[in-house]
Amino acid sequence: MKVRRLYPMLALLIAATSLRAQDYVLHAYIDERLVAAPDDTSWTNGGFGKTRYGGNQTQLHFGGAALYGAAQITPDLLAMGQVQYQTGDRGRVSLLEGWIRYRPVSTTPWRWSLRAGALFPPVSMENDGVGWTSPWTLSSSAINTWTGEELRAVGGELELEHRGEVSNWDFRASLFRRDDPAGTVLAIRGWSIGDLVSGIGTRLREPDAEVSEEDETPPNYYDPFRSIGASHWGDYVAVSWHAPGETSVSVMHYDNHADPGASAPYAGGDEQYAWRTRFWSAGARTDTGAITWIAQALDGYTTIEPIEDAYQRTHYRSAFLLAGWNRGAWRPALRIEHFSTLTPSSDIDWSQSEHGNAVTGALNWRPRSYLRLTAEVLRIDSTSTLRAEYGLPARIIDTQLQLNVRLLY
Amino acid sequence: MATVVNDVVGSSRGLSMNHWRSRVLCLCAWGAAMAAHAGSLTVKMVDSQGHPISDGVATIDRAYQPSAPSTHYVDQKNETFIPYVEVVHPGDSVVFRNSDSTRHHVYTFSPLGAFQFILSPGESSPPVALNRAGVIAVGCNIHDHMIAYLVVATDFAEVTTQNGQAHFDDLSPGHYTVTVWHPQLWPGRPPIRAAVDVPAEGATQELAFTLKLMPDPRHFVDREHLDY
Ligand SMILES: [Cu+2]
Repeated sequence: MKVRRLYPMLALLIAATSLRAQDYVLHAYIDERLVAAPDDTSWTNGGFGKTRYGGNQTQLHFGGAALYGAAQITPDLLAMGQVQYQTGDRGRVSLLEGWIRYRPVSTTPWRWSLRAGALFPPVSMENDGVGWTSPWTLSSSAINTWTGEELRAVGGELELEHRGEVSNWDFRASLFRRDDPAGTVLAIRGWSIGDLVSGIGTRLREPDAEVSEEDETPPNYYDPFRSIGASHWGDYVAVSWHAPGETSVSVMHYDNHADPGASAPYAGGDEQYAWRTRFWSAGARTDTGAITWIAQALDGYTTIEPIEDAYQRTHYRSAFLLAGWNRGAWRPALRIEHFSTLTPSSDIDWSQSEHGNAVTGALNWRPRSYLRLTAEVLRIDSTSTLRAEYGLPARIIDTQLQLNVRLLY
Repeated sequence: MATVVNDVVGSSRGLSMNHWRSRVLCLCAWGAAMAAHAGSLTVKMVDSQGHPISDGVATIDRAYQPSAPSTHYVDQKNETFIPYVEVVHPGDSVVFRNSDSTRHHVYTFSPLGAFQFILSPGESSPPVALNRAGVIAVGCNIHDHMIAYLVVATDFAEVTTQNGQAHFDDLSPGHYTVTVWHPQLWPGRPPIRAAVDVPAEGATQELAFTLKLMPDPRHFVDREHLDY
C-alpha cells in the first residue's frame, strides 16, 4: 500500500525533472519551536487536551517541514504536489496534496479548469502557505485544523470562473473517494486547535481512554483517507464571489456519502466505521486599510450506524473571526472562535457534548523573506462530557505558548 | 469632445475592470508661476498620504492626430508585465516580448479584440493591431497574478511615471478638461475630471489629483501566500 502511494509522487518528480528548470517552482519550510505546554495530555498523545502540545512541559519541538513543487508541463497543464515531514507517531513523510490541473486559455469571460488528484476541499481561508500553513497564526482555527486532519478529496474537481467587469465568480464541483472516515475525530475526540496536518500516509491517533474502553490496548491509529464499504463517490460544491479590493465570500457543501452502516477491519483496532459526514461551510475575507479580516463558519453532522437502525449522530459547528494587521515585516494577528459538538442519545453512554471558546494571539516578524519568527499564545476554554466520563475535569482551560523559528525557501 | 475610453473591456482573474467611474477625493489645480515651455501641462497623481501614483492615465480633450502608427512593446520580466499600463492610439500595434526564462501565455478576452499567444523564453508575439478605443486588460493564463492594461485613446493621453507626473507639452493655449484613470480605482464611481486653463504665455500649468486606490492586484507570489 505504501509503495503504491509512492508511484504518483515518483511520476511527478520524473515529469518535473524532465522539464526545463524554469518551468517548475519549489518552495519549502522547516520549523523549530519552543513550547510551554498546558497540563492536559494533547490529542496527539492520545489525550483529550485540545492543543497540539501537552504534558505541562517547556521544551523544544520540531514543528514540521514541507516541500512544495509545481511544474508547468504544458501551458495548459500544471502538476502540483506538497509533501510534509513530521516527527512523532503519525507517519513521517506524507503527501498533503497532489494534483494535475488542465486549464486551457479562454478568450471569453468564462474559463473552466479540471483538477484531478488529492485535493483540499476549499474550506480554509487561512492556509495558503507552503505545507498548508497559515501566514497569520501557527495554530489553525478549529475548523481548519479539522480540515487539515480529515478532509481530502481524492478525485476530480471542475472549476468554472466568470471574470466580470466588477467582480468575479467561481464555481467548483468535485467527485471524490477515500474520505469515508471524515468526521471520526470530531465524534470521538471533539474539536482541536493546532497545525498538525494529515497527509496521505498519515495515521490519526484515537483517544487512549476510548481505546481502553473497547478492551483494546492503546495507542490505536486509523487512516483518515480510505474508502470503507461499497464503492461510492462523495461530492462537494462551492461558490465564491470575488469583489474588488481583496474581498471574497464563499459557501460550500460537502457530503462524503459514506454508508454509515459500513465498516472495515483496520490495523489498529477491530472495525473502522464509515462516517456519513455532511457540512455547510462559509467564509469571507476583506481588507480595511492594513487590516485583513477573515471569518469562517462550519456546521454539519456525522453519522454511524454500528447496529442496524441504531444511529449515532454528532452535530458539530464552529466559527471564527481573525484580524491580521499587515505592517510590513511585522504581522500581528488575533483570532477568536467558538466550537461545539452534540451527540444526543437515549443511551447515556452514547450521549456526548462539548463546547468551548478559544483566543489566539500571534506576533509574526519576518525580517528576511526566508525567515519568520512567531510568538503565539493560544487559550482554549472548553467543557466536554467525554472528559468527565473518564474522570477528568469537564471544564479545562488550556494555555499554550509557542516561540517559533521558520525557514522558508 | 472625445474622452478616452468610457468603457471597460476585459479583465483578468482577480481584477475588476470598470474603473473609469471613480471618485475624486480631492481635486486641486493651481497655476504655477515658474516660466517653462509655452503651453505645457503637468498632471500629478498622489494617494491620500501624498505618495506619488504611477501608471495613472491623464487624458486631455484634444483629439490625437497621429503622424504614423507606432509599435509598442510590453515586456515580461520576473512574471510581471512591463509596463503595467501602456497608452496607445487607434491604429497602433503592440508586441509582447518574453524576457523571462519561463513560458507565458498572454491573452485577453476583451470585446475590443481577443487574442492569445504562448511565448517561450526570449520570444516575441506578432504585432497586434489595436483599432478600437477602450481599455484592454491583458493577463497570463499560466500566471494569474500577471496583469497589464492597454489604454487605447483617441485623445492625447499620458501615463504618470514613478514621480506620479504626466506631462503634456506644446499645447495651444485654451481651456482643457483632464480625465484621470488608474487600473486600481474603485469601480462604479463617477469619472474623475477637472478643468484647467493653459495660458498663452510661458507657464506650466499643474493639476493635482488625490486618488483612492484598491490594493495592487498583481499578487507577487510569496512563500506564505502561494498562488495556485
Ligand atoms: Cu506568465
